[in-house]
Amino acid sequence: MKKSKSKTILVVAVASLIALLFLLPLIFMIFTSFKALGEAMSSSALFPKLWTAENYASIFGISAEVPILRWLINTGIVTVGGTALVVFVDVLAAYSLARLNLPWKSFFLTVVVSALTIPTIITLFPMFYLFRQYELIDTFAPLMLVYSANTMGVFLIYSFLRGFPKDLEEAAVIDGATLWQILRFVVFPAIRPVVATLSVLTFLTIYNDFLWPSVVTSSDEMKTVTLGVANLVQGANFVNPGKMMAATVVATMPALIIFVAANKYFVRSVVSSGIK
Amino acid sequence: MRISRTWSITLFLPFLICFILFLVLPLLYGLYISMHSWSVFGGNGGFVGLDNYTAILTPGNIYSNAFYLGLKNTLIFVAISVIPLVIISLGLALLVDSIPDKLKVYFRTIFFISYAVSVTAVSAIFKWLFTGNGGYVNNVLNTMGFSSINWLNEQPYAWVAILIATIWWTIGFNMILFINALDEVDQTMYEAASLDGANWWKKFSYITFPSIKGVFVFLTIVSVIASFNLYGQTLLITAGGPTQSTQSLIMIIQQMVFTQNNLGVGSAMAIVMGLIMVIIVATQYFYSFRNE
Repeated sequence: MKKSKSKTILVVAVASLIALLFLLPLIFMIFTSFKALGEAMSSSALFPKLWTAENYASIFGISAEVPILRWLINTGIVTVGGTALVVFVDVLAAYSLARLNLPWKSFFLTVVVSALTIPTIITLFPMFYLFRQYELIDTFAPLMLVYSANTMGVFLIYSFLRGFPKDLEEAAVIDGATLWQILRFVVFPAIRPVVATLSVLTFLTIYNDFLWPSVVTSSDEMKTVTLGVANLVQGANFVNPGKMMAATVVATMPALIIFVAANKYFVRSVVSSGIK
Repeated sequence: MRISRTWSITLFLPFLICFILFLVLPLLYGLYISMHSWSVFGGNGGFVGLDNYTAILTPGNIYSNAFYLGLKNTLIFVAISVIPLVIISLGLALLVDSIPDKLKVYFRTIFFISYAVSVTAVSAIFKWLFTGNGGYVNNVLNTMGFSSINWLNEQPYAWVAILIATIWWTIGFNMILFINALDEVDQTMYEAASLDGANWWKKFSYITFPSIKGVFVFLTIVSVIASFNLYGQTLLITAGGPTQSTQSLIMIIQQMVFTQNNLGVGSAMAIVMGLIMVIIVATQYFYSFRNE
C-alpha cells in the first residue's frame, strides 16, 4: 500500500502516544521505587522530588527481613535447570517425530496436540500430592521438573522441522555421519532460532510462575523471587509502595533484560509457525 | 534415512518419560482422588464414587455454593476480558503494521514487553496504582479535582482494575501473533483493491480479516483459556474481594484443597472446571469453522 508522508507521521505519532501510555506502569514502578514513604503515598508526579535508595537498602540490607538474594539464586538454578531440561527433551522428541521412523508416530502426534488443551489446574494438586509422598516438597525437584511435560515445545520444533528441507541431513548420512554428528552439526544450527524462542518462552514461564511454586514450597529459603515478592505483596504490613516497587524491580529486571536481549528471535516468524 | 528404530525410540524416550510422569500420571491420579474422600494431611479416606461430583453440582450445600460462586465470578471475567483482549490486540497490530519497517521493531518490542513481567509484579504495580488511599491513580484524580474512587473495594471498579491489569499484561502476546499473520497477507490483493477504489474498511473486511481468521479464532480460544485460569491478579490485587466478588474458581479450588483440607472435592472441582473449558473451547472451534 502506498502511504502519504503525513499519514505515516500521524500513525507514528498515535503509536508513540499509546506506547508511552503502555510503558506508564513500568515507569511508575521504577520511579516509585526511588521515593521515600511519604512521597510515594501522596505524590501525583511520576518523578521523585527526592531520590532515595533506602527502599533498595531495606531489601538488600543485612537487617532485611527477606532473603531476596537467596530467592534470586534459587530462581537462577530453577530456570536454567528447567529450561535446559525442556529444550533437551523437546528437541530430541521433535526430531524423532519429524524425521525418524518412530513407531506409532501419528498416535504420539495426536497425543502431543491434544495434551495442549488439558488445563494445568487438573494435574496441579495430584502432582503436589505425589511430590509430597516422595518428600520432595520444598526442594528444587518440583520447581524445575514439571515443566518438562510441556508439549508446546515439541509441537513448535516439530512444525519448524517439517518446513525445513532434508537435503543436508541426507547428504550427511551418505557421507557416513553418525546420528550425533547430524544432530550436532546439521540439525541444531538450522533450528537455532526456534530453539532460542522455546528457551526464552520456557525461561519466562518458569521464572514468572506463581501458583505452582506457591503450592510446593513451604520455607522462605526455597522460594523463587516471583513467589517471594508475591508473599511480600500479600503481606499486611507491606504498606510502603516505594519498598514494594523496589522489590518488584528486583524481581522483574532479570527477566526483562533477558527478554529484550532475546527479543529479535521471536519478533518474527517462529511464534506463529506452530499455529497454522 | 537409515537410522535404526532403536535410535528413534531412544531420542523420544526422555520426553515420553517426562510426559507420563508429569502429565498422564497426575491426570489419572487426579481422577482417582476425585472419587475418594481424601484429605491432604490424612490421605485416602475411602472410595465414594461420584459423591464429590454430586456435592459440587447439587445446589444448596457448601461445596456447590463455593463452586458456583467461583464459576460465576470466573465466567464474568471471561465475558468482560476476551473481547477487549482480542480486539485491542488486533487494533494494536494493525497500527504497528502500518508503521515504517525501521521503527516497527521498537514498537513491537514496547507492546510485547509486559509479556516478560510476572503476574506478581503486574499485581504489585496495579495494586499501588489503584489502591484507594495513597494509590497513584487516586492521587492524580485528586490533583485534577476529582474525588477518590474506591477501586479495589467496590464493584464494578474492582473488575475494572483487574481487567486493566490483565489487558496490559497479556495484550502483547496476542499482538505479536496478529502482526505475524498480517505480514503474510498477500500484498498484491491490496493493490488490486486500491485500483478498484476500495476504502480501508472494505479492504479490512474482504482481504485482511479473512486472511487472519485462523489466528483470530486461535487467539480467541487462547484468551478464553487464559481468562478461565484467572488466579494471581485477583488473589494479589483484590484478595478475592469486595465480598468474594472476584474470588475466581482456581482460588476456590486452592482453598478447598489447603484451607478445607479436602483434596477429593478440590480434584473433582478441577476436573469439572477442565470439562467446562473443553466444552466451551470445542463449541467455539466448531462454530468458527462450521461454514468451511
